[in-house]
Amino acid sequence: MPNDRASRTHLGMLAFLASDTVIFLLLVVSNVYLRRTEDHGGQTLLDPAHMLIFSVLLWGSSAVLVLAERQRERRDPRGAGALYLVTALLGAAFAVAQGLEWSHLMARGGTVSASLFFATFYTTTGLHGLHVLLGLPMLVGLSVLSFRGLIGRRAPGVAAAALYWHFVDAVWLALYLVFYVWRGP
Amino acid sequence: MNQRVPAVSAAPAAAPALSWWRLFTSTDHKSIGLTYMGVAAVFLVLGGLEALVMRLQLAVPNNHLLVGEAYNRFLTMHGTTMIFFVLLPLLLGFTNYLLPLQIGARDMAFPRLNAFSLWLLVGGGLLLYLSPFTGSPSQGWFSYAPLSETAFTPQRGVDLWSVALIVSGYGTTLTAVNILVTGARLRAQGMLYRRLPMFAWMAWVNGFIILFALPCLTAVLMMLEVDRLLGAGLFTRGDPVLWQHYFWLFGHPEIYLLILPAWGIISEIIPVFSRKPIFGYEFVAWSSVAIAFLSFAVYAHHMFAVGLGWPVDLAFGTTSMLIAIPTGIKVFNWLATMWKGSVRYTLPMLYAAAFIVQFTFGGVSGVTFAVVPIDWQLTDTYYVVAHFHYVLFGGSLFAVLAGLHYYYPKFTGRFLDERLGRWGFWLNVIGFNGVFLVQHLLGLMGMPRRVYTYPALSGWEALNLFSTVSGFVLGVGLLVLLVNLWRSRTHGAVAGPDPWNGWTLEWLSSSPPRRENFVALPPLHSRRPLWDLKHPDDMDHVRPPRHDRQGRPIRDEEREHR
Ligand code: HEM
Ligand SMILES: [Cu+2]
Repeated sequence: MPNDRASRTHLGMLAFLASDTVIFLLLVVSNVYLRRTEDHGGQTLLDPAHMLIFSVLLWGSSAVLVLAERQRERRDPRGAGALYLVTALLGAAFAVAQGLEWSHLMARGGTVSASLFFATFYTTTGLHGLHVLLGLPMLVGLSVLSFRGLIGRRAPGVAAAALYWHFVDAVWLALYLVFYVWRGP
Repeated sequence: MNQRVPAVSAAPAAAPALSWWRLFTSTDHKSIGLTYMGVAAVFLVLGGLEALVMRLQLAVPNNHLLVGEAYNRFLTMHGTTMIFFVLLPLLLGFTNYLLPLQIGARDMAFPRLNAFSLWLLVGGGLLLYLSPFTGSPSQGWFSYAPLSETAFTPQRGVDLWSVALIVSGYGTTLTAVNILVTGARLRAQGMLYRRLPMFAWMAWVNGFIILFALPCLTAVLMMLEVDRLLGAGLFTRGDPVLWQHYFWLFGHPEIYLLILPAWGIISEIIPVFSRKPIFGYEFVAWSSVAIAFLSFAVYAHHMFAVGLGWPVDLAFGTTSMLIAIPTGIKVFNWLATMWKGSVRYTLPMLYAAAFIVQFTFGGVSGVTFAVVPIDWQLTDTYYVVAHFHYVLFGGSLFAVLAGLHYYYPKFTGRFLDERLGRWGFWLNVIGFNGVFLVQHLLGLMGMPRRVYTYPALSGWEALNLFSTVSGFVLGVGLLVLLVNLWRSRTHGAVAGPDPWNGWTLEWLSSSPPRRENFVALPPLHSRRPLWDLKHPDDMDHVRPPRHDRQGRPIRDEEREHR
């Protein structure tokens, strides 16, 4: 089965992300649910327009990653390597922005213990941020490997890593909508 | 490949040398599987001692051995240990060892990830047993909020407890990924899903349960830690019942996650010692899938006493009753397999028989809880304690013991000692039933659980003493078993590759199997490839139906025994 290794790694990543989805789902549900038990005026501290700028960086990184994958399949290791690096940089920019956002919020009273809204907000976005931070070294690693010409045209591990990154971006879309855009029940 | 079957040597395998270095670095699924079991044995001793100390406290009324908070600490450590660090690793051990062998693979899909998972679980266990140094957790294995919040359980041990479960939980989740991909991608040619050996099938379905149940625990533990470390108040100012929803959304499937592979083991043993293929293969297989789904749909039957309102109670009571149907019919399938078979009561079969009786008993008392008013009456009494020990110990653990006696020759190349084995069996059966049977009565009399002492009421004293004494009988039984496991490794009778005249692929490999498991595989045309090999003139896939039109008994060749 020539295709087997590719599909194996891919399947493994899919399974893991399915499991991961459950965690995010339960955390988001707890936010939605707990909004009912307490006045959550705290949400007004969040600025959807401001955050949108940085969110676009993250979502854009997914697009760049698609391009990088395309270059890899076209056997252009330098082009792919450069694009992996850009993906990582965009991701890093988002992580920094989120850090700033957090300290900004806390300075204005939006701390973890300030309200249940913020408690679940930090838990969920924190877990997401952790996912971003874990993805960054992975992307940088891909870039380095690619520049050294160590990644072939068919690279199951690389495809699985890309899947992970797209997943992280997709989750952010959901989180952005629930926390920043939606005004609650 | 797939043409010639190599002659496997029956020569005694060299006594497996215990190399610590190999133990820590191996990525071989067999070595990892055995390590899981060894780790579980250590924790079984710890959890068992904790249970015995609790039983000592409860031996007589108004005892002063283990009072108040101290009792709660033992209770918490015992429950957590037994569920997460004894049963789970035992079953993961079996899965790791057997799954590749049964489907004709060399190893799991991700061997290095497999080793990583194992050490995550071990790390979790170590963290758990470090917690006494920071104040043992005392909130119970269910860790109900707000009891588990800092206001009521301030000691740091609770945080270590959470982290221990998150860490080991990730190990288990990654194992599930491995199991799923292995089952989906590494089956040998001809090993279709509908030909999977029963254990492999159930272990694979179990992968799905693990994959979706454990993240629920991870999520809720993270929320608990946000409460405990950062003072968020999700379960205090928020909603304490939210804890129970999330916890049982994990906790109930967890019980099925601990029983599915056990069913798989039983479904391997009973056919071989009855000399009949399993009755209703399709049903046994598909009912596992049904149960996997249902197990998530019944979780709130642990919450009837919370006050969810009658529509919710009714819905969950009904689904809980429903789950009894596929489960019950499984039991009938095993019985039907034995029916008119030529049953031989070897040690594995004895344990399997004890499993059927005890598990059925636990299942029936479980159904009584699905009746909401009965649950209200009996919740938090010893009836519950009796019920879940019947399922977890009388069911899961007895199945594992059956599996240990059955597969020991495969693991080591040698049989377990028969005499010691029989001693162990009877001590375990008598001890186990002695401990827990009477607790049904205690529960019906109203003795509450999770309480460290009780008044000297007539009836309570004798039954509790009886329970405690039986506990020590059980302890001796398990000790005999452990001694047997250790001694027979070098002293047991040599077994050869296929000591039980089995039908599934694992019996094709040498005992213990070589690193790459198989030299070559036979053609796989049916569910019993080794039957086909041994009976070239009467292969499963070409044979006529097993019963003639007059319904005469099964064919003579199925009476064969070695
Ligand atoms: C596979 C074996 C076993 C498993 C999985 C198991 C599991 C559990 C669990 C989950 C609890 C509840 C703990 C809690 O409420 O936090 C518990 C309680 C208890 N177990 Fe076990 N147990 C096992 C074997 C035993 C044995 C052999 C004994 C006695 C000799 C025993 C005696 C007890 C006692 C006395 C309690 C406390 C009941 C109470 O106060 O509510 N257990 N066990
Ligand atoms: Cu349940």
